[in-house]
Amino acid sequence: MGSYLIRRILRTLLVMLGISLLVFVFVRSIPGDPATAMLGERATPQAVKNLRTQLGLDKPWFFNPANPLDAQYPKYVAALAKGDLGSGIKSNIPVRDELGSRFPATAELSLAALFFALAIGLPAGILAALRRNSIWDNLATTISLVGVSMPVFWLGLLLSYFFAVKLGWLPPSARLGNESTLQPITGFYVLDGLLRGKPADAWDALRHLILPAIALGSIPLAIIARITRSSLLDVLGQDYVRTARAKGLSQRTITLKHALRNALLPVVTVIGLQAGALLGGAVLTETIFSWPGIGSWVYEAISQRDYPIIQGGVIFAALVVSVTNLLVDLSYASLDPRIQYR
Amino acid sequence: MTVISPTAAPKTKRQPSIFSRRFRRSTPGKVGAVIVAIFVLLAILAPILKPYDASSDRNYRLNLKPPSVAALWNKEVAEEYRDPVTGQVDAWSHPFGTDNLGRDVLTRVWHGTAISLKVGVVSTVLALVIGTLVGVLAGFFGGWFDSITGYLSDVMLAFPSILLAIGFASIFSADNPPLLISAINKLFVLGSPQLVTAMLAVSLVQIPVYMRLSRAVVLGLREREFVQASGALGATQIRTVFKHVLPNSLSPLIVQGALSIATATIEVAALGFLGIGAQPPLPEWGTMISDSRQYYVDSPWTMIFPGLAIFLTVLGFNLLGDGLRDVLDPRSTQ
Repeated sequence: MGSYLIRRILRTLLVMLGISLLVFVFVRSIPGDPATAMLGERATPQAVKNLRTQLGLDKPWFFNPANPLDAQYPKYVAALAKGDLGSGIKSNIPVRDELGSRFPATAELSLAALFFALAIGLPAGILAALRRNSIWDNLATTISLVGVSMPVFWLGLLLSYFFAVKLGWLPPSARLGNESTLQPITGFYVLDGLLRGKPADAWDALRHLILPAIALGSIPLAIIARITRSSLLDVLGQDYVRTARAKGLSQRTITLKHALRNALLPVVTVIGLQAGALLGGAVLTETIFSWPGIGSWVYEAISQRDYPIIQGGVIFAALVVSVTNLLVDLSYASLDPRIQYR
Repeated sequence: MTVISPTAAPKTKRQPSIFSRRFRRSTPGKVGAVIVAIFVLLAILAPILKPYDASSDRNYRLNLKPPSVAALWNKEVAEEYRDPVTGQVDAWSHPFGTDNLGRDVLTRVWHGTAISLKVGVVSTVLALVIGTLVGVLAGFFGGWFDSITGYLSDVMLAFPSILLAIGFASIFSADNPPLLISAINKLFVLGSPQLVTAMLAVSLVQIPVYMRLSRAVVLGLREREFVQASGALGATQIRTVFKHVLPNSLSPLIVQGALSIATATIEVAALGFLGIGAQPPLPEWGTMISDSRQYYVDSPWTMIFPGLAIFLTVLGFNLLGDGLRDVLDPRSTQ
């Protein structure tokens, strides 16, 4: 286990290095000079040149013959390792600070979406597998097919049109109502409302959370339902399930004690893989629902060509995905004792 | 030299192949094939039945009119479409309504079909060819090539695909597209360099999926007897790969191909929605939805119909992929 852990972590670090290299090259390939972008088109050539020197953009990209470490990429990686992601061009706020203040919004939304996906997807998948070829099975299969075929941004607009505009049941955008005076503690507003002892605020935050969470959770829901169904069907066909049945155990015990636990391993993998999909989908969902998270921030940065923000947001997303994959790999052992790390 | 003359077989009706028999038993496959066929037909017929020029089409007298079909049961809508001279109501003039520039939503959605199909298929085929080639070679030869490509796909898969596509799509300037991009733009008559960039971005993001898949398939095939036999009979490695390994690893790749046309269609539309794919006035579905964001509260039809088109196309390809899996890879279906 120990040596596996070390190798697995080393691989994650190596992948992070690759990510930083890819983002570094990407950002420097985007047309337009950051110094000109910061100073505006009317800046004097001398001012642009000074700023380029100040930003270190006049240095070679990877290797400086005079001083091997005095190049852009080594400096960039060194800054990254310290958690320094630069500052937004327009706002001049450090990317790290803004990332920190926006992350809870995205995390709250993603967790709510995942909760929604699990709450519907798991039971639907289980029911479909237990009552195979029944109407429930067909229903679950149809739901999962519709879920993967539905563009997130269209579903978001439809939800907001019907439930916010037409019916007026739920708010169409933002995280809190205008009159709310909630003081954040954790940045998870539903939780903050409860911690502050103001259930009305928590309820307000929850109402704002529902529509975006459904939109963002639709694809994970479909995939979780599908995987749960096929994985459980697979396990229910195994010999030990027949043995359990021959012993005279009830279907309930067989399902809950014997089949489900084994069937969940692929489901856990898929949930881990959804971390990336959730962060990607957050760009679209947050844009539609004006959710002040990382996704809508990166989207605005793209339209304003604010490179440090794009860079920081993308690297952060890739970091979250890599770490999630690492955790998923490590969680296998506790779910399936047969798996041994070597 | 012996000549084998074909024995005169009794004339029987040709048996349908095992594939078409299996496919006909697969309900999702049939439904998907029908949906896809309808959309392909629509795309081909669009320029013939309803010629359309996106850049000159606008009619300010008709902006944001509701779907004219509603005139059949809704008096208010009927009034909107009543001809002031004859007093007749034409319920079929704008069945899906009009957008903010008075353009017919039906015509635009219809002409968007060709764009979305081309973009979905081309990006998938590109990813399939490149990814499979690299994956097959990596799986067959192993060694340093396998390590490097494996590492590259690890890095690429660590990005949420839409973010990687956004990054890639923002590299190329729209005013002065590189030669390759304008060449692809001309070749497939897409009419927007940004759309080509978005298409290539979505394609790039899919490559590691095919690399992984084909590598895994080849690893299983490499030790099989017929592959070993090919080597023992003196075939070169290149010949073994392309004559024996590749043809036998195609089934899962074709299934994945149909499913990823669906993904590619959604992702290109998503890039269009974010404003970094196709640019207006091109009638691309994602771009149309993006345009509708300012109006959909009062005029939901500008958003509903393009989205419905995306949904149905993607549904068609997903069903087709499921059907192909039933046919080509029956062991994987329960």
